[in-house]
Parts: sequence; C-alpha cells; structure tokens
Amino acid sequence: MAASLGFGGSNAADKTSATVGQSAAQPSYQGPAQMLDDHRLTPASISSLEVHGATNTRRSLLDHVLKPVVEDSAHAGTTLGQVLEHVGAATKKLARFDIFKEEGFGVFLSEAPRPDSALPTDRTELDISIRVKEKSRLVFSAGTDFGNAEGSAYTNAVARNIFGGAETLSVNASTGTRTRSAYNATLSTPVNGNPDLRLAVEALRSATQKPWASHEEQLTGGNLRLAWLTENSDSHALAYSTVWRQLTSLAATASPTVRADAGDSLKSSLTHTFTRDRRDSPMLPQSGYLLRTVSELAGWGPLNGDVSFAKTEVEASGAVPVAIPGLAAQSGVSVGGGLRLGLLYPLPSGYSLSGAAQPSRINDRFQLGGPTDVRGFKLGGIGPHDGIDSVGGDVFAAGSVNALFPLPRTGPESPLRLQLFANAGRLVALNSKGKAKEGREGLAMDSATVFKGVKSAVGELTNGLPSLAAGVGLVYAHPVARFELNFSLPLVLRRGEEGRKGLQIGVGIKFL
Amino acid sequence: MTSIPPTAPSSWRKMQIPRPLQQLFDRFPLLTYEANNLPERSQHLTSSDLPTLYVFSTDRDAGLGLPSFNPGCLKWQTLLRLAGLEFRILPSTNHASPTGSLPFLLPPRRRNTTTSSATPPPPRPIPASNLLAYALQQQRQQQTPSLDFDLDPDLPPRSQAYLSLITLSLRNAWLHALYLDPSHTPLLEQLYIRPSSSSRAVQATLLYQLRRAAAEQISSSSNKIVSIATVDAVDEEEAVYAAAREALAALASLLRESGSGWFFGAERPGAFDAALFSYTHLMMEYMSSSGEGSVEGAGGVALGDMVRAAGDGGLARHRESMLEAAWPGWDASK
Repeated sequence: MAASLGFGGSNAADKTSATVGQSAAQPSYQGPAQMLDDHRLTPASISSLEVHGATNTRRSLLDHVLKPVVEDSAHAGTTLGQVLEHVGAATKKLARFDIFKEEGFGVFLSEAPRPDSALPTDRTELDISIRVKEKSRLVFSAGTDFGNAEGSAYTNAVARNIFGGAETLSVNASTGTRTRSAYNATLSTPVNGNPDLRLAVEALRSATQKPWASHEEQLTGGNLRLAWLTENSDSHALAYSTVWRQLTSLAATASPTVRADAGDSLKSSLTHTFTRDRRDSPMLPQSGYLLRTVSELAGWGPLNGDVSFAKTEVEASGAVPVAIPGLAAQSGVSVGGGLRLGLLYPLPSGYSLSGAAQPSRINDRFQLGGPTDVRGFKLGGIGPHDGIDSVGGDVFAAGSVNALFPLPRTGPESPLRLQLFANAGRLVALNSKGKAKEGREGLAMDSATVFKGVKSAVGELTNGLPSLAAGVGLVYAHPVARFELNFSLPLVLRRGEEGRKGLQIGVGIKFL
Repeated sequence: MTSIPPTAPSSWRKMQIPRPLQQLFDRFPLLTYEANNLPERSQHLTSSDLPTLYVFSTDRDAGLGLPSFNPGCLKWQTLLRLAGLEFRILPSTNHASPTGSLPFLLPPRRRNTTTSSATPPPPRPIPASNLLAYALQQQRQQQTPSLDFDLDPDLPPRSQAYLSLITLSLRNAWLHALYLDPSHTPLLEQLYIRPSSSSRAVQATLLYQLRRAAAEQISSSSNKIVSIATVDAVDEEEAVYAAAREALAALASLLRESGSGWFFGAERPGAFDAALFSYTHLMMEYMSSSGEGSVEGAGGVALGDMVRAAGDGGLARHRESMLEAAWPGWDASK
C-alpha cells in the first residue's frame, strides 16, 4: 500500500507510515491511502518541512537532502502525488546514511493552517514532519566471520555520525584461522550530503599466513577510497592505496621461489572496482547475473613504490531458473555458470612505457584453486608450483558450470540444494624461458620481452585442456555465508598441481 | 591424504579407504600434462647451475662476486672461496633465511634427468653452520683433488678466547659505528635500508628497527645499556671503541706470535682468519678517515684507521693477504 505512495523500495521506507492529519481527510486509518490516491493529482506545495529526532545530526546534512524536496515542490504545477514521491525519495536517502534506525522513520502530513487574509487557492499547502530515530552513536560488537576459506573472530567498534554529518569511524581487530592478526580503522563520510557518494580513509595492519606458499605476509598501509552508486545501483570504487608488504616467517620447507621473494616491498596503486549485482540472492543465486571488474595500476608514473604493474580481473556469473513442465510454482532448480579472467602486465617504473620492467612477485601474482574457487583443487592448487609451494601466475582463466536441485523433502524454499558441478582453470606465469637471459644482466625485462612473455602466457591458457574437476555436493545458503560439502575428482591436471580427490568443504561468501 | 575428508577424526585416518573407492581414485586424474613453468623472477633467481649463496650485497657486487658488506656473510663467503667451492651470490634479506639471518646457501636444482613423472623436489636451504660440510661434500662428489685445502671448522681450543675478541669487541664496535653513529647514517642507508624499499616511510621504519636491534645487541653483549639518544652515549661509545682498540692490539700481537702470517701458526688461512678478515676488511673499506670508501667530512669513528694502526699494520697486511688468498686479482680500487 505504501508503495503506491512512492514510499516503496528500501526497508526503511517500507516501514514508513504516511499519516495525514485530521484537517486533510477522513480520520479512519485505512482511509488516507485511498484518499491520497484520489487526490494524487491535486495541486500541492510544501508550506513547512520539519525533521524531528535528528538531535546529533548537522542541519547542513539534512538540508542537502530535504532542500531539493521543498524547492521541487514550489513549482506551480506540483501535485500531491509528486510531493509524496519527493518526500519518499528523501526519506530513502536519509535511510542510506545509516545513522537512523530503520523502524524509526515516520512521515506525517497535515494541511497547513491558512491565514485568514490569504487568498483562497486550490493548492493544498502541506506541513510535513519527518520523524527519525538516531542509531546509537557508539556500537561495540564481537563475533565470528566467514571470509573465503577462513574463519575468524573479531571485535569491532563503530562510532556513527561523529561530527553530525553521517561520518563513521570503524575500528576493527580480528584474528582467524589464517589471519594471525588484523587491525584496521576506517573513517568514512558522505560527500556533499549524498549517501551514495562516500569518501573513506583507512589504515590497516595485518599478518596473514599463506600456507600454500610457506610464508606469512605482514601488511601495513592505508588507502583513500571514493565509492559511489549509480542510478541503476551499479557500484564503483576508486581507491589509492599504499601498503608495505613484508614476506617473512618462511617455513623450513619453503621453496627457492618463495625465498627469492622474501623481504620488503611497497605497493602504491590506484584501483577501480566495478560491481553490477543483479542476482536474486548472493549466497544462492538462482536467477540474475553478477559482473565485476577490478583494475589496478601500481608503481607506474607518480605512484612510485617498489612494484610496478597493471593488473585486471573480470568476473561474470549468472544463473537461470529452470521451470519444470507441469509445475506452476518455482521449481527451485537452476543452472548457473561463472567465468573469471585475470592478467598482470609488468610495467617499467617511472613515466616510461618502454623501459625495463621487473617481473612480478609472489604477492602480486594470482592464485587459483580451492573449495570456493575452482573446486576439486587445494587452495592455490592450480598453476605453477615450486615443490609444495603454489607460487602463482600472471594470467588466469577459470570457469564453472553448475546445476542446483532442491532436496526432495525440503523443497525450493529451503536454503539447501544438491549441486552438480564441473569447473576448470588455468593459471600461467609469464616466463621468457631464459631466451633473453644471455646479454641480460639483471632481472629486468625490456618491453618487448614483457610483451612476448605475456602474449605467450595468454596463448598458453589454451594449450591443451584446462585443469578440470567435477563433482557433486550439498549447498547450504546461510545468510552470513554459503557452505558447501562436495565430493569431487580431478579430471585433468598439470604436474605439480594439487587436486583433491574425495570430500571437500567450502565456506565463503564468494563462489565461482 | 588427498582422499580423506579434511574434518575426519584421527581414527578415520588409520582406516583404509575402501578398495573400490581407492581403485576409483587411482584412475583420476584422467590426464596429466607437463608441469607449469615457474614465474620469470623465480626462473631467473633460482635456476642457476651453481649453488647460490644468499648474502647482503648489491646487485652489482653480487654479479661480480665481490665481498659482501655484512661481516657475518663475508666470513662465510670468504671461507667458501677459500674452500674452492664454485658458487654465485645473490643479494637477499634476513627474511629469506631459514635461520632468520643471512647467509644461507641453496644448492642448484636437480635436473629432471630421468623420464620419471615426478619433478624433483626443490633443494633445501643450507644454513651457515653447515656450509663447510656442504663444500667438503661437494668436493668429494666431484672428486676434485683440491682437497689439499683442509678447512677445519673446529678452531684450536685456545682460540675461543681470542674469537670472543672478534665476536664481541670488534662486532660491538662495528655495530656501534655503523648503526648508532649518526655520521655513518648515509652508509647505513646505502647498505641496508635503500635496497629494501624505495619508500621513505618504509626506510624510516626499517632504520629505526635496525638501530633499536643494534642497540639491543650491543647492550646485551657488553651488558651495558646503549641508548640511541645521545645524552650519555659518549661514555658508552668510548667504552665500546676502547674495547675494540684493545682487541685489535691483542689480535695483532697474537698474529705476530704465530709467525706464519696466519693465525695459530697455520700454513693456510682458516676460519679464525676469515672471521677477523670479515671485520678488518669492512672497517678499512668503509670506515677509513681517508682513502678508499671513506666517509667524507664525517666526524665518525675511523675504525679502519684503528685497524691500520694495530700492531704496526700487521692486521692490515693480514687483510691484504686474505684478499689475495680469497679474491686473487682483487683490485682495491674496484
């Protein structure tokens, strides 16, 4: 019902109650909507607009959102329906600041008392009052988290609306199965009173074990990030980050490749991330698609730093529900697929494009394989291996197809599915095969060698069948994370790659 | 292992996988291709035909096989050269070492000579303490009769007392001069800081960490507290350098007593000679008040001059002889 008034959409707005004062219409509660429907085309304008309950919020922030509402409604031809739409849009916008309680929104309309001296008009003058409840400004929480292939425990403190402009400071400390320790603090603020355009600055420090390559990586750094949502709810983020990486605490069995990359490096990079998520559910997508691109430029030009490359990754996945003939309701059966591609191109440092470039390090290269990635392989199981270490590659392609079936007893509504899948991947490292070694003193490669290397690595992707595994399993889509228990067998492998025969458990929020 | 569920309780592990399942597993993968190539950086850095000694060095020096600028590394580099082992050196960091400090040695990768399917596992690193054993074993394997050269890693018993002159007094003086003496900051940065990262912030952090570690080392080995703040550092400093001067004098007279030109009357330079050389060479190379590699205009301690003065130049001549023995054709001007 509310939706017909233009209040639909976000959770907060769904709960918004539109109540119209006595002076405007019938007092009965079910009446207003109908009355409003009848009067949608009545000319109307806003006489006053008040916000109650935003005691800690700066007026300028509210002005950014509400001034346009008043101004837009000042035109002669404005109808009641339009006014309500504007107010509805504004409350939705307020809700996106994440400083007001979702259930606390209330919008009240009443006809402004007309001074006796005023000329009678057929325009309805409205007094609008928006009631909000601010969320608590300081929140502490602790809990457990599931990232990809890792569980962790965290404590988190959030200070909301610090300066009254919907600024948020979030301080987080966590420790997990792989992350020995991680601390970060993020201060984020809407730009220009727009909740869909946020600027954030973050400082972070972490130590993460990388057992697939026998080392631990310690990160210390920060980033500055501008994120925005477009009209069609695509999200973009542009970030500058600088991070000091220290590859240390090598296992006794660490391979020569990992030893050669141990030590310090500073990455200074610009990253653009684009996400279009049109899936019905992120944990158990049964229809819709996801498109994601990540592009990173590190070290080149004014960025400096110790590593220099361009890196890009594209991910596309989608699912279509399968109707079963003769069954009117949703069958719960769906077929899905995903494709991921990535490329790292070493660049010369400085402003040159043709200068000598350093080949990639292990912490910049891609890893592929694992229960949430290419199933049927160990974590980092695909691609170049030095002994037991998965040392990563510069070019990769991975794809999967799967079919989801509801379990006989539970039906399509339940978050349980039976899954059939086949997935494949190929991860290749840039390698000049020592051709240019003679006459080359150091590690650096000239631009022609880099180009040839990348080209041959890309060509290598389609040399033979990709490393391939197939299997069957159970999927449980919990709102927090997706759990999979799969039985799979590797069909095609490269020597050194680590497939996993038999059962494999996957817990994560992102699956191929 | 691969066929057992990750959460299997330990009793499961002892259980045999049912035969039909095992037979099924054995059939997979259906197709196995050749191994992937290693990344370029790895290929370049780890696939030499020679054993590689990882030390503190610069790219240029490493390419030419010049002496490392780190006393610990230089000692072993010298010994391996004296032992006649053919090896190349690569610059590295302590993070890479299995012991947490350089040097260490990686034997060359074994070539896949047989047509068997398995790629040979990569070589395991050899820490400094096992380097001489490795060198001897290599000589035995290659049956190169250069075995006339016998390096005994076990020094004569009475040498232990003298060795502490090197490992405590000279080391403290070197650490103090290089890490804590502000006049050597440019040298410290050039040797240890700048190769790690081009970032100023990282360099500053590393510099601070290195200095703190050096101060701790000095205070723990001299049981005195050395503070980086210069308030009362003068006395401390004097104590450290006085100890070094005494140690050099004692070593010089020990060398004179020996008579053979090497310590303890040996016919050839040994481990003790290498240990002393690793400090005297670097002190003369990097910390002389004039001449080669000097720090211009710095008011720092000229440890190199101290070495030159010790025993009427006896230690300086010892250093020259060591260079000739381990780096024949060494040109002091590089």
